[in-house]
Amino acid sequence: MSDREQTGRSIGRLVGRVESVLRDSALPQGAGVVGAVGQPAERLLWPVAERYNRTLGERFGEVTGLQLLLLLLSFGGLVTAPLWGQDYLRPLTLGAVWAVFAMGWDIQSGYTGYISFGHSALSGAAGYTTGLLVLHLNPELSLFVTVPLSILATTVLGLAIAVPSLRLRGPYFSLVTFVTVLLFYRLTKALSHWTNGLRGIRVDVFTYDLTLQYYMVVVPMLAVAATLTYVGRSDVGTVLVAIRENEDAVSAAGVDPTKFKLWSFVLSAVPMGIGGVLLAHVNAGVDPQTFVIVDNSIQMIAMAVIGGMSSILGPLGGAFLFVGLRDVFLVGLGEELRWLALWLLVLLVLVFARDGLFRLLWRALGALGGDRR
Amino acid sequence: MLGDIASVIVDGALISAVYALIAIGFTMVFGVGGVLNLAHGALIMAGAYTYLSLVSDSILASVTLHPIVAFPLTIVVVGLISYGLYVVLVRTIEENVVITFLATIVVAIAFTELVTLVFHAQPYQYSVVPGVLQVQALGTRILYVELAAFVVSWVAMGLLWYYVTKTDSGRSIRATSTSERGAMLTGVDVSGVRARTWLVAGGLAGIAGVFLGGIGAAEPTMWLEPLALAFIIVVVGGIGSIKGSVAAAYIVGYLQTATGQFLGQSVRGIMSLVVLVVVLLVLPQGLYGTEFVHE
Repeated sequence: MSDREQTGRSIGRLVGRVESVLRDSALPQGAGVVGAVGQPAERLLWPVAERYNRTLGERFGEVTGLQLLLLLLSFGGLVTAPLWGQDYLRPLTLGAVWAVFAMGWDIQSGYTGYISFGHSALSGAAGYTTGLLVLHLNPELSLFVTVPLSILATTVLGLAIAVPSLRLRGPYFSLVTFVTVLLFYRLTKALSHWTNGLRGIRVDVFTYDLTLQYYMVVVPMLAVAATLTYVGRSDVGTVLVAIRENEDAVSAAGVDPTKFKLWSFVLSAVPMGIGGVLLAHVNAGVDPQTFVIVDNSIQMIAMAVIGGMSSILGPLGGAFLFVGLRDVFLVGLGEELRWLALWLLVLLVLVFARDGLFRLLWRALGALGGDRR
Repeated sequence: MLGDIASVIVDGALISAVYALIAIGFTMVFGVGGVLNLAHGALIMAGAYTYLSLVSDSILASVTLHPIVAFPLTIVVVGLISYGLYVVLVRTIEENVVITFLATIVVAIAFTELVTLVFHAQPYQYSVVPGVLQVQALGTRILYVELAAFVVSWVAMGLLWYYVTKTDSGRSIRATSTSERGAMLTGVDVSGVRARTWLVAGGLAGIAGVFLGGIGAAEPTMWLEPLALAFIIVVVGGIGSIKGSVAAAYIVGYLQTATGQFLGQSVRGIMSLVVLVVVLLVLPQGLYGTEFVHE
């Protein structure tokens, strides 16, 4: 171990100690009103949480009462959104699409620590497959044909990126994915007689009924969230995190890390394909600016970072927060200032709360309920 | 045809020197701290816009300096920005490689937005050294700014070479890059070395930025292409190796120029990518590097 790492570890330990002191002293008694409301609420909800833990907890992770309340409220909020947020259906729909992207990025990059800048190429592959099929083959092609083909194309591209690059370690991998995006972008221009270049390809929307469209996006999103949470909590997820923490130890334990990294890419490519198809239909088209450019990959990363990497549900929350800020709350700032504010927020989270805002919230709820894990 | 070949030879030689400058800074920062600085492209852009603001009367009306004054001033400013980036941001998070990596790309993107906010998205043309040199015998022409970029880049590389081989301050950079523990045991102030490396890398990026902006134009997306190139060059040359960076810069530079000339501008980047993939698979440690390993 290098000295730098040792210093890093001891700083980490120090921060950990400070955090635990703060938590022990401040939260349970000192939180005042929050604590006074939180603890009875926790006692009230605990029996429900216990039932959940006994039935589903093994597969999706155990929760305390307040954490379960947060999950149920979020779920209920999403499902009933057309009732309370008719004016915000568009951002909510986009938020759900980006949540799929952020979670797809997370299961690969967040879990294994192999940071990919290539995920916008994956979503682009899905969008462009749908677009090219509709434009050059048959405009009337059914979704039952285009959607599976698009997801398949994304998976194939994912494997084409992953097989040569995942043999490489650390930064080399990120670099190959980064260059892949630039190459994809150039190809959309170079092949513009097929792809219409920057103008892109028009794709029909699912439906003009915004409520229906919202559900057509949210339902797949929730399915992706449930599946990936399950995978993340399973042995596969454990191995992926182990790869991030110490790849040599994984090899030494007789597990082939390369195989698992490849699987994580497939696991990631399928949601990216789903998300890409959704975005193409929600945006009524596919073009390099909204799909391929490297900024899109970085936005996915930003959402995962804000929410909390390697937690699946964190990036989900991060995506809604990011899109909400981007498309609703910060719109008044104007184009450049809004982005500047967003990126500074991401930077602040990276420096001061690298576990992510939603993971902090999750832990705080757990601590309020007396959870000392 | 002869003219085409001549212009590839000349253009390739000229632009590759600037690429080398970018790649050297990038690889040095990686060598001493293990930080993959994705904000390196932003420093290049900072160079172009700083120089533009100093010489042009359309940005800051009260400040119009002669290029001879503005050029060194730009190098200093960008060097200090780079130094500040390290001391304020990177130093506090560098123990976590992934977080640092992500933070630098966020800095790059935020900087792009800042530039768009201040200077707007349109490209700015500015001249560093005006004029064109006609080479009748070869049937080609060279911009003086390209020639200046070539000369200044090689002078900078020469000075850097002197610095890292002949002075203690520079040799401690190489020592840290070779073995951090070894350097520490022989009394090198590793933290100081890192800060110094960022300063030097920033200065080199500043030089490159002034010339890249002068040859092309200063615009908010100008950092992506050089950053990707620096990546490719560093991998081909071997991460951490200055000599490798120079050699690889010439390979990649010539490849870029030749594909651009003979196959069309739209496939320019594709050949470099092919070379990159081949090198990664056949020679993962690059021309002169040791293979990157997680410690």
